[in-house]
Amino acid sequence: MRRFCTACVAFIMLSLLMQGCGFKDIDKRFFVVAAGIDRTSNADKPYRITLRLAIPSPKAEPGASKSQLESIDTATIAEGVRLLKGHVDKEIDFGHCKVIVLGESLVQSDYVEALTWMIRRRDIQSIATVAVGKPSAEDVMNANPPSERYPGNSLFLSFGTEGTDSPFTLQMFLFDLERRYTERGLDPFLPVIKRDHMTYMISKVAFLDKQKVKLTLSNEETQMYNQLSTQFKKSSIMATYKGKPIVALLTGIHRSYRIIEQNGQAVIRMKVRLRCILEQAPRGLYNSDWRQIEKAFSDQYSTKAETMLDKIRNTGVDPFGFGLRYRAMHRGSDATWNRWVKLYPNAKFEVRTSVKIDGTGLIK
Amino acid sequence: MLHRITTLFAEAKDLNTHRIHNREFTLEVAYIGSLVDESKVSDYILVPFTKEEQSFKTILETNPSFKKIEDPARWAGNLLRGFVLVKLENAIYMLDAARVIRNQNPIAEVESSVQGPQTALSEDLIDSMNLIRSRYPSAELKIEEGTVGTLSMTRMLLLYDQRRVDPTLLANIRNRLKEVTHEMIGAVGELEKELSSPRRALFPTMIITERPDRVARALSQGKLVLLLHGSMFALILPANFFDFMHAMEDKYESLWMTNFLIALRYLSILLTTTLPALYISVVSYNPELFRVQLAFSIAGSRSAVPYPSFIEVFLMLFLIEALIEASARLPRYVGSTATTVGGLILGQAAQQAGLVSSIMIIVTSVVAISNFVVPIASMSYAIRFLKYPLIVLSIFFGIMGVAFGLFIYIVYLCQLRSFGKPYFRFLGNITKKEGDIGQVNAR
Repeated sequence: MRRFCTACVAFIMLSLLMQGCGFKDIDKRFFVVAAGIDRTSNADKPYRITLRLAIPSPKAEPGASKSQLESIDTATIAEGVRLLKGHVDKEIDFGHCKVIVLGESLVQSDYVEALTWMIRRRDIQSIATVAVGKPSAEDVMNANPPSERYPGNSLFLSFGTEGTDSPFTLQMFLFDLERRYTERGLDPFLPVIKRDHMTYMISKVAFLDKQKVKLTLSNEETQMYNQLSTQFKKSSIMATYKGKPIVALLTGIHRSYRIIEQNGQAVIRMKVRLRCILEQAPRGLYNSDWRQIEKAFSDQYSTKAETMLDKIRNTGVDPFGFGLRYRAMHRGSDATWNRWVKLYPNAKFEVRTSVKIDGTGLIK
Repeated sequence: MLHRITTLFAEAKDLNTHRIHNREFTLEVAYIGSLVDESKVSDYILVPFTKEEQSFKTILETNPSFKKIEDPARWAGNLLRGFVLVKLENAIYMLDAARVIRNQNPIAEVESSVQGPQTALSEDLIDSMNLIRSRYPSAELKIEEGTVGTLSMTRMLLLYDQRRVDPTLLANIRNRLKEVTHEMIGAVGELEKELSSPRRALFPTMIITERPDRVARALSQGKLVLLLHGSMFALILPANFFDFMHAMEDKYESLWMTNFLIALRYLSILLTTTLPALYISVVSYNPELFRVQLAFSIAGSRSAVPYPSFIEVFLMLFLIEALIEASARLPRYVGSTATTVGGLILGQAAQQAGLVSSIMIIVTSVVAISNFVVPIASMSYAIRFLKYPLIVLSIFFGIMGVAFGLFIYIVYLCQLRSFGKPYFRFLGNITKKEGDIGQVNAR
């Protein structure tokens, strides 16, 4: 019994010494809901870090969100964050930092250092979304949408399938970015966020190589890329039929491709099968021959897709992962990869689309 | 004889000793008035003796209710158990005339059921045996009688189906019963503590039940049942962990709902043991585990709380445990006071005063409610304790500590044995024929 008591006392005293190691109550933490990293023109302090810190409140009403913006110019990102701790009264916690915005200036020069910092930092979750902020991350951080229930809500909801399901919004998780950065034959892309007064506009995608951004697509191309790469269904296709525009809503999409080598040239044959319902079209189409409309859709879609794929290929990036597929189908040696590096700039795309119209959207 | 008896006993007013005569014999009668049904004494002894329709000697010799008793050392013990001693011509007989004050036709209240049998075992052994025999009308039912407690000498019955019982188990339990050296054994719970090994087990290894249908089913599975005089509960052994999670109602109600309810019980015990610890570790170590909304609302409601999260948890748990204990101990007439006052405090006031966060109130009530989902009260009590070690672990080591604690609990459960039978085995090579828990000879 006496030994037991001694052990108890020893345990309690030892554990008193251990207290404070990692123990920090939730109300003593300052949650970062969004972080922005920009490159400044100052060579001594090349990074500008902007953090959006949430001020928690027990009530969650639309428009009741409060947040605090902190910004600092530093030589390194890690030091900057540590310096920012001196600006606030609570421990800064990245645990809920679901969106990290990289400024356009940063991705146009070199994003690798920022990426490495994000991966290394243990409290940033790997499921955080990474995006490009235009014109700068700080500018995007400044937006404060009036409909927010709690800080950062609008940004979280814009990505993913929880809130809006926009075909123009692609999502890039941090772990995926890291994977695409390290993988040969698969290049990263990032959604582009623009500030529109007090709200955000996310309708473009930027393609990057292993160092910086190479190409930004237009809205329409972004949607097509989303359809072709992630087979995103809640989107539309457009065609002109007899001089009038027709828009159809996709109900099903299936895409497959093969890489064939012909006479020393890589040919990528892509088959796309689309099912759709007409959404905006002239009246009286029900009794006309649908095959004509389907053909117009198919031909125009194929042309547009080929143009877009050529455009991506010409900048030398490979967000689709054609190179990864090629490596997967051939011997896993460096020779294969070197061969693909030579093949890809001259690769030819052949897109064959078959569109099936399910209905006109009207009951006759 | 009478002289000897009066010297045996301390001076007691209720010790009745009579010497009566009729034309033929002189009869000596001794009994303890408070233990004995006086009408039985007069019906069996006084009236036939005085009427003299038949020679009283023949009555004593022929009526099997009168048993001859040779050893004077057993006189005191038998008198104290409500026997009447009769001496006629140097032969001493005894007659069982005990009057037992007991609860009449008790209704099952501890393990109540909606559509199952409503009667509970009685505090009297004979009534209990009646209930069990009528539910288990088998010639194989064997009943051994004995006493436990060196002073209380509580009468005890050991019941089993002699064809289905495991003989090693039987030998084991007989030895254990011999080793019980306590002076007073008042209820089966006390006996359970004496019999169980290890003595300080975290979980009960025997079921305490008041339901005759549970007893009958246990007998059919080859288990042993202990009944104690003066306690309306039976002790079923051996038992495994899953038996405790199983209410008799589960056999009587619709299949899918009962399956769901069983799953719900397991979920509940997981919640009631881990939730306070998880609250501490998530709030203070890993708040990223919450969804953002929840994290902010907890942070907001906690901002008024001056103490760290574990003080908050201890405060609320103290309140709820005190409330449960108070409502169990209070007399029924004042019982509602505790619940009303406690409900007010737990419900709103504690949060409005800024002592605890609003989430903590939900945690506390989940802990309290889901604790009572366990059908067997002794298991419910055992599980009530389990959360505290986990809380201590979570204060120092966060979620890792909780996971580690749960792992230790599972390891502990796995090494636990109930009279040599595995306590927590749910996977493994158990065929129906071999049986597992005391059902070696069961079909």
